[in-house]
Amino acid sequence: MSVSGFIQSVKEYLSLKDFEKSSKKKSVKSLLKKLRTKRKELKKRLAITIEKKQKQALEEELEIVALQIKKGKNILHELDAKE
Amino acid sequence: MIKNLLLPLILALLAYGFWISPDFKGIAAGIAIFLFGMLFLEEGFKKFSGGVLENILQRSTDKLYKSVGFGVIATTIMQSSSLVSVLSISFLGAGLIGLAEGIGIIFGANLGTTTGAWLVAGFGLKVDIAAYAMPMLVFGIVFIFQKSKTLKGLGYILAGLGFLFLGIHYMKEGFEAFKENIDLASLSVGGLKGLLLFALVGIVATVVMQSSHATLVLIITALAAGQISYDNALALAIGANVGTTITAIIGAMSSNIEGKRLAGAHLIFNLVTGIIAIAFIHQLMIAVEYLSAFVGIQSDDYALKLAVFHTIFNTIGIVVMLPFIDNLVKFLERYVVSKEQSGEVSIARAHYLSDAVLEFPTTALSALYQESRALYEKSFEIISYGLNLKPKRVDSLADLDEVLKEEYSTTAVDMDLLYNTEVKGIYGEILDFATKAQGNFPAEHIEEVHKIKLANRALVEALKDTKHLQKNMQRYKNHKNGYIKSEYNKIRKNIAELLRDINTLMKTGEEDVIIVLLSKARIHAQKNDILSNGVLDDLIRNRLITNEMATSLMNDSTYAYNISKNLIEMAEILCIPQKSDSSNIDNQMIINEDDIKELLETKEQK
Repeated sequence: MSVSGFIQSVKEYLSLKDFEKSSKKKSVKSLLKKLRTKRKELKKRLAITIEKKQKQALEEELEIVALQIKKGKNILHELDAKE
Repeated sequence: MIKNLLLPLILALLAYGFWISPDFKGIAAGIAIFLFGMLFLEEGFKKFSGGVLENILQRSTDKLYKSVGFGVIATTIMQSSSLVSVLSISFLGAGLIGLAEGIGIIFGANLGTTTGAWLVAGFGLKVDIAAYAMPMLVFGIVFIFQKSKTLKGLGYILAGLGFLFLGIHYMKEGFEAFKENIDLASLSVGGLKGLLLFALVGIVATVVMQSSHATLVLIITALAAGQISYDNALALAIGANVGTTITAIIGAMSSNIEGKRLAGAHLIFNLVTGIIAIAFIHQLMIAVEYLSAFVGIQSDDYALKLAVFHTIFNTIGIVVMLPFIDNLVKFLERYVVSKEQSGEVSIARAHYLSDAVLEFPTTALSALYQESRALYEKSFEIISYGLNLKPKRVDSLADLDEVLKEEYSTTAVDMDLLYNTEVKGIYGEILDFATKAQGNFPAEHIEEVHKIKLANRALVEALKDTKHLQKNMQRYKNHKNGYIKSEYNKIRKNIAELLRDINTLMKTGEEDVIIVLLSKARIHAQKNDILSNGVLDDLIRNRLITNEMATSLMNDSTYAYNISKNLIEMAEILCIPQKSDSSNIDNQMIINEDDIKELLETKEQK
C-alpha cells in the first residue's frame, strides 16, 4: 500500500472526512454568530446616529453584513445537503 | 572606513571623559536621559494620535496666529523655550502638526521665553523644572502599567517630561563648574568687535549650559556687579537666543526629517533675529530707552532694560519672519532632506528572511508573511506620499476631508527614488526567498507561497500605478476648474480610505471585521470607478472639463481603479492566512462581483 493510500484508509477509519466537514460547519456557525452580533450593534448605532455621512456608512455596512449572513446560511445549507 | 571607526572612537572618548571628569559623566548622562525622554514623549503623543490631543492641538494650531499664541502660552507656563521646541518636534514627529504650525509654535516660544527674562530681571525668580521630574517619573511609570490607552499615553508623556527635566537638571549640574569658571570681566571689549565677540560668548555659554535662562542669570549678575558693559550684556543676550536652539537640534536627532526641519527653522529664526539685532543695535537701544522711560523703568536698572531689549528684538524677529513662513517651509523642504531624498541611497533590506529557515516550511511561511506585511507598511507610506498625504494622518481617525487638505509636501516626492530605495530590494529578496521555498517545500505549501508572491506583485503594481497617477494629481488637485479638482480629490480620498481600511485589516485578527472590510473595499472600488458609474460621461457631455482634462481623468481613473484592485488582492492574501481552517470559508464569504452588481442595482432602484 502506498503512503497516500495508507493515509486515506486511516482517514476513513477515524472518520476524519466527517471531522473536516463538521469543523467547517463549526467555523461557519461561529462566523454567523459574530456577524449577527455585529448586525445588532449596527442597528443600535444606526438608531441613534443623526449625522448624514455616518448614517450612510452604517447603512452600507449593515447591507454588507446582511448579505454575508445570507451567504453564510447558504454555505451551511450546502454542507448539510452533502451529509 | 570612517563610519566603522566612528562608533568605537565616540565610545573611547566618552570612556576617557568619564575617567577624567565626574562633571563630564553627569553631562553625558544628562544628554542620554534627555534623549530617552524624547523617545518616551514621542511614544506618548503617538498613543494620542487620532484622539483628544490631536483635536486640542489642531484647534490651537490650525491658524498661524493660534500656533504663535500656543507657543507663547506654553513657554510662559513651562518657562523653557527649549522644552517647547522639543515638544513641537515630538508633535511633528508623531504627525500631529504640520511644519508651518510647528514653526508658528517656535516663533511663539521665542516671544514666550522673554517672560523668563522679565522674571529673572524683575523678581529674580525662575521656575525650577527639575523639582517636577521625580513625581512626574513616578506617576508616569504607574500610568504606563495601566491597560487604558489614554492612561498609558499620559504615562509616557509624564515620564518623558520627567526624563527631559531630569536630563536638563543633570546637564546643568554638570556645567555648574563651567559657569563658575567663566570670568566675563576679563573679556570686556567695546565696539562692533566686542558686540560680535560677546554674541559668540553668549552662544557658547548657552550651548554649554543648555539653557538661555542660565546665561541670562549670568549676564544679569555680571551687569549688576559691573563686570560687563550694558552693550556687552545685550550682545550676550543675542548670543544666548541663538545658542538656545542647540536643545532643539539635539531633540531633532532622534526625530524624523520633519523634526529636523523644525529644528532648522528654529536655528534660522534665531539667527536672523540675532543678525537684525546686531545690525540695528543702536536703534534698538534707543527704542529700549524710550520704552523703559514709558513704562517707568529707572534709567540705571539695566537688568530690566535687558528684559525690554529681549522682548523687543524677539517681537521684531516674529514680525519680520512671519510673512516668510511659506518660503521658509519651501526652503527647508528643499534643503533639509532625508538620505533617500538627498541621493545618499541606502537600500532597504529584508528583516525576516533567512535561508536558514527554508528547511522549516511553517517558519519560512511565517517569515514570508511578516516580510510582505512589512513591505506593505513601507508601500503604504510611499502611496500616501504619492497622493501628497501625511501617512500618520491617513492612518488615524481624522476626517478624510481634513486629511486631504493637509498636504505632505509642496513639491511632488520622487516615487522612483522611494521605490528603488525602500521597496525594490526587499521585493527582490521576497521573490528570491519564495522561489527557493517553492523548490524546497512539500506540495501543500507551494500554492500558498505562490499566492504570497502574487500579493507582493500586486503591491508593487499599486505603487507603480500611484507613480503614474501622481503627475496629473499634483497638477489638478488644486486646479481652478472645480470639477476636475473635485474628481482628483475624490480619487485621493477613495485611495486614502482604502489604505486606512487595509491598515485596520493588517492589525485585526477578527474574522468578521476582515470579511466586512474586504467586502466594503470591493464594493467601493467598483462604485468609485468613474468610467463605469457615468460620472466621466456627464462631465464630458456637459462640457464641464476640457478634452485634455477628460483624457487625463480617464487614464488616471484606470490607474486609481487598478491601485484599489491590486491593494485589495494583496490584502485578501496577506490578511487571511491561507492554511487556517476558516480561510476557505472567509474567501467564500467575501462579496463577489455578482453580489456587488446586485447590491449596486438594488441601490439604483431605490
